[in-house]
Formats: sequence, C-alpha cells, structure tokens
Amino acid sequence: MRRTRPIVVGGISLAVSAVVFILPFLFIALQAVKSRSEASRLNFLLPKEWLLWDNLVAVVEARNYQLLLAYFNSTVITVFSVTILVVFSAMVGYVMQRRKSRWNSVVQGAVLIGLMMPPAVVPTIGLLQSIGLFKTMTGMVLIQVAYNLSFSTLLYRSFIGTIPRDLDEAAMIDGAKPWQIFVRVVMPLLKPVTVTNIVVQSIAIFNDFTNPLYYLPGKENVTVQLTLYNFQSMYTSQYNLLFMNILLVTIPPLIVFIFFNRQIVAGMTAGGVKG
Amino acid sequence: MSGVQLKDIRKSFGALEIIKGIDLDIQPGEFVVFVGPSGCGKSTLLRMIAGLEDVTSGVLNIGGKDVTYADPSKRGIAMVFQSYALYPHMTVAENIGFGLSLAGRPKVEIEAKVRAAAESLQLIHLLDRKPKALSGGQRQRVAIGRAIVRNPDVFLFDEPLSNLDASLRSQMRLEITDLHKKLGATMIYVTHDQVEAMTMADKIVVLKDGRVEQVGSPMDLYNKPATPFVASFIGSPKMNLYSGVAAEGLGCKTYGIRPEDLTLSFEKGRWNGRIRHVERLGADALVYLKVEGLGDMVARTLGGAKFQPGNIVWAEPDATKEHRFDL
Repeated sequence: MRRTRPIVVGGISLAVSAVVFILPFLFIALQAVKSRSEASRLNFLLPKEWLLWDNLVAVVEARNYQLLLAYFNSTVITVFSVTILVVFSAMVGYVMQRRKSRWNSVVQGAVLIGLMMPPAVVPTIGLLQSIGLFKTMTGMVLIQVAYNLSFSTLLYRSFIGTIPRDLDEAAMIDGAKPWQIFVRVVMPLLKPVTVTNIVVQSIAIFNDFTNPLYYLPGKENVTVQLTLYNFQSMYTSQYNLLFMNILLVTIPPLIVFIFFNRQIVAGMTAGGVKG
Repeated sequence: MSGVQLKDIRKSFGALEIIKGIDLDIQPGEFVVFVGPSGCGKSTLLRMIAGLEDVTSGVLNIGGKDVTYADPSKRGIAMVFQSYALYPHMTVAENIGFGLSLAGRPKVEIEAKVRAAAESLQLIHLLDRKPKALSGGQRQRVAIGRAIVRNPDVFLFDEPLSNLDASLRSQMRLEITDLHKKLGATMIYVTHDQVEAMTMADKIVVLKDGRVEQVGSPMDLYNKPATPFVASFIGSPKMNLYSGVAAEGLGCKTYGIRPEDLTLSFEKGRWNGRIRHVERLGADALVYLKVEGLGDMVARTLGGAKFQPGNIVWAEPDATKEHRFDL
C-alpha cells in the first residue's frame, strides 16, 4: 500500500498536468493543420486534409509578410530591453546589497513599488508623446525596461547577497577600483542568475501583448503577438491561420525554455536560499 | 620593510565603541600576533590597519607615512583572509596575478612573478586549477601567494588557519614562520588560538574588550602576565586562578599558579585535595583536584605518575613561580 501510493499520486498529477498543459497545445496544433471550414468547428477531430504547409505559407505571406517584420521588431525590442535590464539591474542590485546608506530604504521602497503598482496606461502614453517617444521602438524598449527592472533587480540583489564580501575586500586590497571589483570579480560570478534573468525576461518581453498594443501602435511597429489580430475580426475568424500563427509565435520562447529550464530554476533558488 | 604605529586608534559603530584607544608600535620585520577572545576587537583592528574599516579617530602610520585615510591598495599591505577569499572564477595563476594585472603590469612580468611565488609555495602544478578543485591547505597557500606577489611591506593574516584540520594547521604554522624568516617583512597575525600566538610571535598583543591588555614576547607573557586575564589566556592548560577569601589568605586579590608549577605528592604540600580525574597525554598527565577551601585545581605531572581518581594528594607550588595580582 505504502509503495503504490506515491506511484498512484504521481500518475494522477502527471495526468492532470497533461490535461492542463498538453491538451491546449495539441488543440492549437490540430486546428493549425486543418482547412478553414474544419477549423471553425473547433473540435479534436483529425483533419481530412493535412494543410500544414499551405497554412504556414498563408500566415507568413499575410499582409505583405507582416509576420517577418513582427519577428524582427519583437527580436529587436527583446534584445535591447534584456541587455539594458541585465546591465542596470545587476549594477543596482550590487550597490543595494553592498553599500549601506540612508538611501537604501528609499531605493528598496522604490523597487517594491515598481513591483506592486500596476502601470497606468494613459498617463504613460501622455508622457511618451510629450517627449516624442510614443510609437517608437526606443520608447517601447524603455517601457519594457522600466516595467521589469524591479523584478530583475531583486533577483540580482538576493543572489549577490550569497557572494562573500571577502571577495570584494580581497579585490580592494589587490588594488581594484569599485567598478573593477564589479566587472572583474562580481559580474563573472553572476552567470547563473544572469541566465535566469535573460530567459525569464526575454520570454516575457517577446510574448508581451498588451504593452505593444498600448504603446506601439502602427503597422510598421507590429510585434509577433499583435499579428494574431490579422486573422480575427468581429465577424469572421480564420481559425486555422490564427492557430498556425499562435504556433509560430509560441515556438521561439518554447525552445528557449526547454534549453534553459534547469538554469532558470537554479538561478531562482540560488538567490532564494539566503535572502 | 616598514613598521606600523597606532596612536590612540578608536572605532565606534554608532554609540557602541569597539576599539577603545589603542597605542601600539610594531617594529619593521616583526611578527606580531593579536590574540584575544572572540568579540575583543582583534579582527576589527586588523581590518582598520588594512583599510577595510574606517578609523573613527586616531592616527595610523605604516612605514612612517600617515595612512589613516588611505585606500587599502595604497598602504603597502597584503591580507590573507580566514575564508581565503579566492576568486572562484579564476585559475590559481589568475588569482595570484590579479593584483598585478589590475596594476597594468606587462603579461611577461606577471607570469614570471606568479611562477616565482607559486614555486616558493609548491603550487606550480596547480596553476591551471580553479579554487574549487583545491584542498584547504592548497587554497590557503594560494591566498598567501596572492599576498606575496604584491611584495607588500606588511602582511596581515586574519585567522588564516582556523578552517584547517589540526595536522595541517601545525604544518602551515611552520610554513608561515619560514615565510616570515625568508621575506623579513612585517607580519600582523590575528588568532584566538593561544598556541598559534605562542609558537609564531615575536610579540604578542593580548586584547580584551577593545583595549590592549598586555604586550610582550611570548615567554614574557607566560612568565609575567600583567593581569589575571592574560594569565588565564596564555598557557595550556589554563593557570589555576583564585580570588576572594582564598586569595586574601595568600596575600593578594587574585592568586595564580600554573599547572606545571605544582608538585603533587602523597606526603606533604601546601594544599590537600581529592583527585577527580586524570588525563593521561602520554609524556605527561593532567590531574584535576578538588581542594578544600580553594576549589578546582589542575596540576601537570609526569605521564607515569601513579595518581588515581579518588586519591587524596598534596600539592606544593614552586614558590618562585607564584603569581599574585592586585586586580
């Protein structure tokens, strides 16, 4: 009895997670290879005709190859925001952890507020318009950095807490200036948490739907998640193409996640042991 | 070679004064050990000399120059940490040469100096390893190598041997003493282990509660402790100390006698007591007595002595080696 229980419980939880995680994906994949009329029924039946390639071409070619532009835009936004995020949050985390001053509590409060407060859309648009960054990639990158900086900073800060201060002091005695201590001693040790940051943030930013929708309107600015609108309208929806689009958009983050899964968990928990 | 002078050095954390005014004169080339119980401020004092803690007030001179507020790297010091503080992502060679590479020395010079340091510490075959692939003793040697290569006037050691096992510790003690003889540099060494202090030091500084309790050579401190605290701290096993009525009867406020200065016999002596326990160490044995009107007493006798627990024995102090304190 005692032996079989873990197996039974494990089997049930595996089955439940399969239903929760794999079924929707299977559903997407199934609809993506059907014809338009079959897909509109939205069921789990196998397609009469497998239209994988046709649907793929149709999605890529739609609106003058808009999907490719969207991939480009999303990649640019993701790469730039994540780079800025990693550099800045590592520096802020380092200073917050190592240098104790009156400002610490202020910065700590600011970071927490950044984490808790929901962003206000209309004032942000007003601000962006007044400084001429509305509808620009630069503006979008800055928004992504601002929204995600708190989370990255906290990850870095708790991880830096696990690096012994003796290392900083040894480097200081060796003649390192503060920025040299950071770049040559601390930064290389941040690799695990940096991988976590890169993966988590790039998936979040690449998959972001609402922020580009609000702050980056315009045909030439389209990002991958917004291309989903191409096949959906008030009266007709081309479900086969919509699901093919979803499939294409989901694949890049999925690949990243599969490859870096272990590092993400390692980086998260490494910082979590000592707060 | 430089001497180190401390003039009325003080350190406070907020309202709490940790170092309460220390004056100390360390001669060039001297091996000085700071010793004291934990929390006495010895590590803080060393970190102040290193420049890792700010000096609240007072003057610190190294090599005749006022360095009270100088950067750690400008003081001509090198430090070996208790945790070794090796950079985990660098190889042994990079660890040793890090200071030189920061100073922008040419690669050839760095390599030559690293090799020289590694050779003198028998680290040549480990130069390409990362610290995590080294044993405790090897890590310790790398940390010392990193100090040597900077060619400092003053070496600072912060409890460097406390993470090593006993046999390695005595070996490293010898190596550090040899290093001191070879380099002739001034060394300041912090420990809570009085054996390290006795065996290595030219001069011992006993600290207690942020003040200097006594300064002197190891044998000075052993033979002529200025206070009961120093008397109890130096020497193993501890000196037998008695205060109160028992000491007043002996003409002082605190009376002390070392275990090795007591002679036990079955016939006669000053004190009479019952043996509670005998620790046989081989060459000698420690006899623990319960003395009527005095309390517990330890005596060191020959290993072969025939004392057994429960025996009633007499203890006779060596009259020339009694310690009487008015504290």
